[in-house]
Amino acid sequence: MAYVATRGGERAIEQSQRLFKAEMGTITPERVAEIRAAMPYLIDRVMGEASLYDEDLAALALAQTGGELYEAVLLLRAWRTTQPRIAVAEPVTQGALFTHRRISAAFKDIPGGQVLGPTLDYAHRILATEVLDGQTNSPEPVEAAAKPSPAQQPSVAAWQAENGLLSGAVSDTLTGNDIPDVTREPLLFPAKRAHTLQSLARAETGGVLALGYAAQRGYGQAHPTVNELRLAEAEVVVTHPRGTQFSAGRVKVSQAEVVSKKGEQLELGFSATLGWNEVKVIAAATLDLNSKGAPKGSATEEEFFLYHTEGVESSGFCIHFKLPHYVTFQSSLDAMRDAKAKKAAKEKSPELAE
Amino acid sequence: MTRPPQSLQGWTHEAQLSVLARADTARLKAFADPLITDLPDISVVENRTGLVMLPMRDTAQGTHFHLGEVLMSEARISADGQEGYAMRRGRDLAAAMAMAVVDLVVALGHAQDACRAFLEAEAKAQSDADTLTLRRVEATRVDMETF
Repeated sequence: MAYVATRGGERAIEQSQRLFKAEMGTITPERVAEIRAAMPYLIDRVMGEASLYDEDLAALALAQTGGELYEAVLLLRAWRTTQPRIAVAEPVTQGALFTHRRISAAFKDIPGGQVLGPTLDYAHRILATEVLDGQTNSPEPVEAAAKPSPAQQPSVAAWQAENGLLSGAVSDTLTGNDIPDVTREPLLFPAKRAHTLQSLARAETGGVLALGYAAQRGYGQAHPTVNELRLAEAEVVVTHPRGTQFSAGRVKVSQAEVVSKKGEQLELGFSATLGWNEVKVIAAATLDLNSKGAPKGSATEEEFFLYHTEGVESSGFCIHFKLPHYVTFQSSLDAMRDAKAKKAAKEKSPELAE
Repeated sequence: MTRPPQSLQGWTHEAQLSVLARADTARLKAFADPLITDLPDISVVENRTGLVMLPMRDTAQGTHFHLGEVLMSEARISADGQEGYAMRRGRDLAAAMAMAVVDLVVALGHAQDACRAFLEAEAKAQSDADTLTLRRVEATRVDMETF
């Protein structure tokens, strides 16, 4: 074992951090508030991947890292470890969600109907370059309907189960701290379903999309159709010391079911995450749908996609390769030179090699 | 002997707490602040930030799994044999303390009319905001026909 000492490292590190921060300038409460207000979908993405819901903290992490997403998520995951866990809330159920967007690509006439909610799905993708010329770009106001949409919408999957298209889900009896938790126990394979869904909920969006897209393009066993996609708010129901259950507030959640035909019935894949991030949940639900019986080492195999979509681990492993590996690399070079020398000696005097 | 906690006429404890947890922060603090002067000595049992893990039920197989943690502010206080408790989203400890004060005041049976009026006004504001949100959502409803 050998080590390499670096002279002047402390000063260089200090100055390198200053150089990084100099580009962003002063971080003010106003800047954090502006990031929070102007970039709700980025905030949602960061909160989902950090597995920590608080818009102010997410905006601060983005401000502090200049939008370097892996660093922002790492900051939040690190900060999370300084906080006690006060409680485990009551499980969120689909039927109780305060629903903003709910669509199905499988059935046009789902119970409760379809509401597009906030989306750019049908927008022309035109960059508003006039803003760069000094003009402002203000959105047209929404023309609210006279009557409100129902806050809660029925479950498409439950309707399908009633009609014999699906096997009905059997409600889990585990609650509270009995629910398996990957932040407190190792992820082992075959994974518990609770671990799989929690890992996908906190997975890195790009990684999930890449592997989910691979499955969708044909590297999986089942072609997905979006059974139901929801963007909604969930109540965080906690318990008062006197035993009263109440909502301590709402958080944004996304949820997707994808469906595929299997024999005489349909099969569902499911995913949900904190914040509104529908690309992630559709891709993740596709992986869930395809995971059963997936070949070892394929993109849809559970071990493969869960290990490779954990953003903090994968980005950390990737960037560790730029850290000094001088001794190990020198060792490789020594071995290479030794092999070369032996080869040259053999060519020069073949009898020496005998 | 400690008497049981009082409740607010026309309000369940659940509804009272849920409205307080979503109440406008500035209005809640402004309402709770003067209530403290009429209370006996308050003991602060807890006033901290922390995390609440949020599970969800999977609709494919019914499994409960963890979505992630939510930052909360919690306060727990007591006075004259009664407890006031609060949990609200975010890291505003003063807002959590204000909610706990209102919960304690109600439990002690103080300022019932003022508390009821505050809760009714906040409940209406929350209901109006939800209704407006849902009217805007309704504007995006699509009806599909097969030709």
